[in-house]
Amino acid sequence: MKKVLLLALLLSLVSSVFAAEYTFYIVSHGGPGDPFWGVVMKGMQDAADLLSKGTGDTIKATYLGPAVYSVTELVNMLNSAIAARPQGIVCTITDPAALDEPLRRAISLGIPVIAINVPDPRPAGERIPYLFYVGGDEYLSGIKAAEKMLAVKKPARAVVFIHEVGHAGLELRAKGFIEVMTAAGIPAEKLAIGTAPTQAVDIIRGYFAKHPETDAIFTLGPIGTLPTVTFLKEQGLAGKVMLGCFDLDEVTLKAIKDGIALFTVTQQQYLQGYLPIVWLYLYNKYGFLPANDILTGPGFVDGSNIEKVEQLIKQGYW
Amino acid sequence: MESPPRFLHDVAVWLRQHPEIGAFVGLLIVFVGFSLTATRFLTSDSLASILTVAAELGIVSAGITFLMISGEFDLSVGSVLGVAAMVFALTAKAGWPLFLGWIFALLASAGIGFLNGFITVRTGIPSFITTLGTMMFWRGILLAVTGGFPVSYFPSRTPTMFFVLNGCFAGQFRTSALWFLGIIFLLNVILVRTRYGNAVYATGGNRDAARVLGVATDKVKLVNFIISALLAGLAGCIQFARFLSVDPMRGQGLELEAIAAAVIGGTLLTGGAGNLIGTLFGVLLVGMVRSGLVQAGAPAYWYQAFVGVIVVVAVVVNTNLRRWALK
Repeated sequence: MKKVLLLALLLSLVSSVFAAEYTFYIVSHGGPGDPFWGVVMKGMQDAADLLSKGTGDTIKATYLGPAVYSVTELVNMLNSAIAARPQGIVCTITDPAALDEPLRRAISLGIPVIAINVPDPRPAGERIPYLFYVGGDEYLSGIKAAEKMLAVKKPARAVVFIHEVGHAGLELRAKGFIEVMTAAGIPAEKLAIGTAPTQAVDIIRGYFAKHPETDAIFTLGPIGTLPTVTFLKEQGLAGKVMLGCFDLDEVTLKAIKDGIALFTVTQQQYLQGYLPIVWLYLYNKYGFLPANDILTGPGFVDGSNIEKVEQLIKQGYW
Repeated sequence: MESPPRFLHDVAVWLRQHPEIGAFVGLLIVFVGFSLTATRFLTSDSLASILTVAAELGIVSAGITFLMISGEFDLSVGSVLGVAAMVFALTAKAGWPLFLGWIFALLASAGIGFLNGFITVRTGIPSFITTLGTMMFWRGILLAVTGGFPVSYFPSRTPTMFFVLNGCFAGQFRTSALWFLGIIFLLNVILVRTRYGNAVYATGGNRDAARVLGVATDKVKLVNFIISALLAGLAGCIQFARFLSVDPMRGQGLELEAIAAAVIGGTLLTGGAGNLIGTLFGVLLVGMVRSGLVQAGAPAYWYQAFVGVIVVVAVVVNTNLRRWALK
């Protein structure tokens, strides 16, 4: 028994000489209690486990995120991650001004940095010189959503229901959608519906009274999808009006299954945890870098993959 | 000096007893305005639409009116609406009988109201502060429990309970409107025809005098805090019965709209005056502005601006009428 233990100890010593150890951090504005970020964390952990198992190296990945949204907390966490001198940091650039100094300091210390979820919106010369960005593209999401509808049918009139006017991300989605529709010669516009569902249904009903020919709707999140689906069902318009949604929640999934919604756009955030860990490892070990940013969205969930996605949501992948 | 003509005196007395008249005139003006500008305004669908929007707001506003007359304030109603809808959704999802879940959601709301009242009465801090705190607290709890995600419940067919709360009948009319009208009239009868109603006015009008007269002002306030939260909770359940899904931000911003409707209806921020009929007119005015603007084709953001103007104009008119009537 003693011999076996000794042998094991020896083996682990030997392997630790040859095997490298890598420490990576994901520092995010999203708290670990948030289901969205739970999926990112799972992606991160899966990548670290898989690499550790497959390569014999030890990959340690840690997720840091303030429980309640706070830029100060985010910066504090980033600073403690830098202090640990890891082999890589992955960060959401939620507040470029606040993150500029610490991230530039990390980069000058030779720590590779990858941006996820939210990029630095400034032009190439001014932005934080991180390696690349892994995440969704809001504007492209709107474009692809419109193209997906046009592939089914050319609508007579298209409308985007925006529940939070002035929200930069939502406005970009709407812009992409409206541009493609307008270019196809279809009257398309934005309608502010607010976040209160009863009032939203009333606003939608008013719009349809004025423009009864409307047959394509794009909603920008579950808060806008709920009153839209309710309206279509109550007015017997389900299936007669094309509906594209954003993000995954139970109402949206059910609407796709019931044939009320055509599709929903997702940013496949599992990949925003998984891919940066893989790339940081490849970069550290072999010096590989992708040529471009890596877009994880727009991804689509529709009738063709809904059953599978539903199962995978339960397992924490979507 | 000659005394004012008899009929002017009568008008003044009548005005003193009917602070809701300002809101009623406003309602008429807006009604005529939209009838001329929005083509589909004078239809039963349009009336149903106004009532539907007014109903949920009105149920919340009715409770707030009661509380405001007794001289207190409740900013937490939006959060309470969210909590009640969430409790209703979670119990339904957990397989509870809907009626039981509904009662439980209402009890939870009443509990929050009791807490608001207890803190305010016991510590003597302004209810503006108490309920500002509980508004933030319960919203935070909602976000923490759900992690920011909506909670949905999909029964295979619409349960009777949901129809009773917010079903569709006679075209586009909904049972929520019946709840709203029923509550308004019930509360108004309590307010103007019962001893308790007198106690509410006395509590808000002159606390010391009320105490001398033997009105248990603390108890009246506590009960009214509970009524306000209970009705906000009921509105939350009614909303859930239609949409079958609730997100943790549900009801946010509702508190100010509900207070605006009560104030437009002639209820004084300082307490002691007002009634539910005024709130009825105030809520209908707000609902009509919302529906009318949409039907007239105005972008939805105009609504807020419009209501803002109405609040100020209504209070200026109400205040001047009252001053004149009291002379």
